[in-house]
Amino acid sequence: MKRFIGAALLALLAAAPAAFAQDARAMLAELDRQGDFAGKDFAALYTIVSQKPGEKDSVTQVRMFRRDDREQFTMLVMLPEVNKGQGYLREDDNVWFYDPTSRKFSFSSIKENIQNSEAKNSDLTKRSILDDYEVAGTTEGFVGKIAVWVIDLRARTKDVSYERIVLHVRKDRTMLLKQEDYSVSGRLMRTTLYPKYVELEGRLMPSQMLIVDELNPGERSQMTMTEQSLAPLPDKVFTKAFLEQVNK
Amino acid sequence: MNTLANIALRNLTRQKKRTVLLGSAIAFGVMIVTLINGFAGAFSANVAENFSDLMAGHVFVSGSEKGEGDKTLSVIRDDSALTAAVEASGAPVRYVTRRSSFAGTLIFEGKKLQTNVDGADLSQETFLRDRLLLKEGSWDSMSDENALILSEKIASRLNVDVGDLILVQLETVTGQANVGEFRLAGVSYDAGIFGQMMSYANLGYVNSLIGLAPDEYQTMGIMLDGLKHTDAAAEAIYGRLYGGVQLFERGVKDEDGAVTPFQALMRQQKKESWEGVKYRLFTINEVLSQIEQIVAALDTTAGVILVVLFVIIMVGITNTFSMVMFERIGEIGTMRALGVHRGGVRSMFLYEALFLALGGAVAGIALALVAMGVISLFDFGMDSPAFIIMRNGHLSFFLPPLRAAANVLIIALLTLVAVASPAGKAAKLTPAEALRTQK
Repeated sequence: MKRFIGAALLALLAAAPAAFAQDARAMLAELDRQGDFAGKDFAALYTIVSQKPGEKDSVTQVRMFRRDDREQFTMLVMLPEVNKGQGYLREDDNVWFYDPTSRKFSFSSIKENIQNSEAKNSDLTKRSILDDYEVAGTTEGFVGKIAVWVIDLRARTKDVSYERIVLHVRKDRTMLLKQEDYSVSGRLMRTTLYPKYVELEGRLMPSQMLIVDELNPGERSQMTMTEQSLAPLPDKVFTKAFLEQVNK
Repeated sequence: MNTLANIALRNLTRQKKRTVLLGSAIAFGVMIVTLINGFAGAFSANVAENFSDLMAGHVFVSGSEKGEGDKTLSVIRDDSALTAAVEASGAPVRYVTRRSSFAGTLIFEGKKLQTNVDGADLSQETFLRDRLLLKEGSWDSMSDENALILSEKIASRLNVDVGDLILVQLETVTGQANVGEFRLAGVSYDAGIFGQMMSYANLGYVNSLIGLAPDEYQTMGIMLDGLKHTDAAAEAIYGRLYGGVQLFERGVKDEDGAVTPFQALMRQQKKESWEGVKYRLFTINEVLSQIEQIVAALDTTAGVILVVLFVIIMVGITNTFSMVMFERIGEIGTMRALGVHRGGVRSMFLYEALFLALGGAVAGIALALVAMGVISLFDFGMDSPAFIIMRNGHLSFFLPPLRAAANVLIIALLTLVAVASPAGKAAKLTPAEALRTQK
């Protein structure tokens, strides 16, 4: 009998990580679903306030248009005034940057930072955590007083910016509260906190993000989302011509 | 003809003081212009040679590999075909170097700065120690895996000292974010505007940061016996590689406004599609082809100075020869009375001006050569901010013979133009009029 109980315990212990991984995958799938507006267009205004030691706070404002079905996005810079009219356009795998001064498009990347802030283009676009990362481990923890699952993820592909990310997902409902991004060498580079969410047709969208640069102490950006909408957008919004016309 | 030339020469020697003063004015102008020409002549060669040492090669081969999702990675994984082609080319190769590099942000105690870091095998590249003198620290410290050498300017802007740990934020060849930690092993003397280009680390560590294996690298540098072999060696190596490996076409013209042949080559890479690795062969001359524009600007400046100086000198020559004509009016009358034609009188003045111009120009070139020799004796040291335009710390000059000949020709022509008017007036005098005119 003792042997039987021992074997059962061992089997349970062996199965536990697999079960955790399964749960973690389900959580990741839910996080992906929340950020995916397939079948609809998404638009919002993001205001990013960046703080750097010894410098005045800088404000960047971008209007984001997304069509997740085709993995397209157009991003228009509204502030600062000096960069107004600059824009990014994603077509297939290419991201183009438009400069109204030179009236030229140049290659850019989804991994690029938005203006002079800590936020990256990829922070505002659809995520595919399940496709890009695999679960390396899951533990329990707290963010403040809130109990969370801490999911350790390793990149499946080299297309993503960060080789390792650690997600802190609320236990009582699938809501990302904190994300840590690590370099290939394993150093913590960036911590993002998600203190506020809004519900948009059954999906939870972070309406506020605080991005902390862990390499440069004191550098942080607070991003606020407003004017979010799921109204259909004209096709021309996702064209180079749109970025050119906006500046005329 | 000989008689007129002899008279012209005699006339020049009769008024030694005047001749010496006029000749000196011409010689001074020629000397200045020759010095600028000589500096411009050596400028591009010196810059190219110094950059060859810093970039470790006259001819370069880099690899572009198509990875997942048609992304291009800069890497050379197997260089057997490249080394075989270099050996078979018969090029006068001194040594072959292998380097990787990245553009990243150095971070130290709240200060950050973007720079390029070259990863070099410093046990092989011993010449770098001779070329890049250290103000602080020592090359021996480069034996530490994560050692780094920064220029004085970068070290000062970051406020780092030898031994400090510096963070570096960069992207791997696949575009992933990475962070490394360098220990400052040395600070090199500043090389002026090129200061930011000179950060060196160990190849192995740079490879580990950008995601390459220890035996991989990004650019092969082929150092030749001298800059003059560059184009021929590049052609020979390209010829040997052609057909054996995938190669980007050399010498492509770009209609998109690429400024240099190297930029055109880089743009070509973005337009083309291929599988596996494709190699790009380029030379130091192509990378630095904009230097030629600086040389052209220097030569143009020299030309403008030549013209301005000679317009001033021409006014003096015209006035002097008008005076000479008046002084010799009786002599002209006698010559004309003895049967010398108008053309002969004009020729005599023109010969005189020509001899003056040639004498002054030759003296000017000789003075410039002496000045060049003296200036080039000064050792400004490899720690000079202008070391990139010098040869081993010395200012050097090269005067293209054709340019010197062209300068002499221009001066001769301008002097003849300056004297044309007084010579014409002298020729027009009738013997009777000339003989009765009193000085």
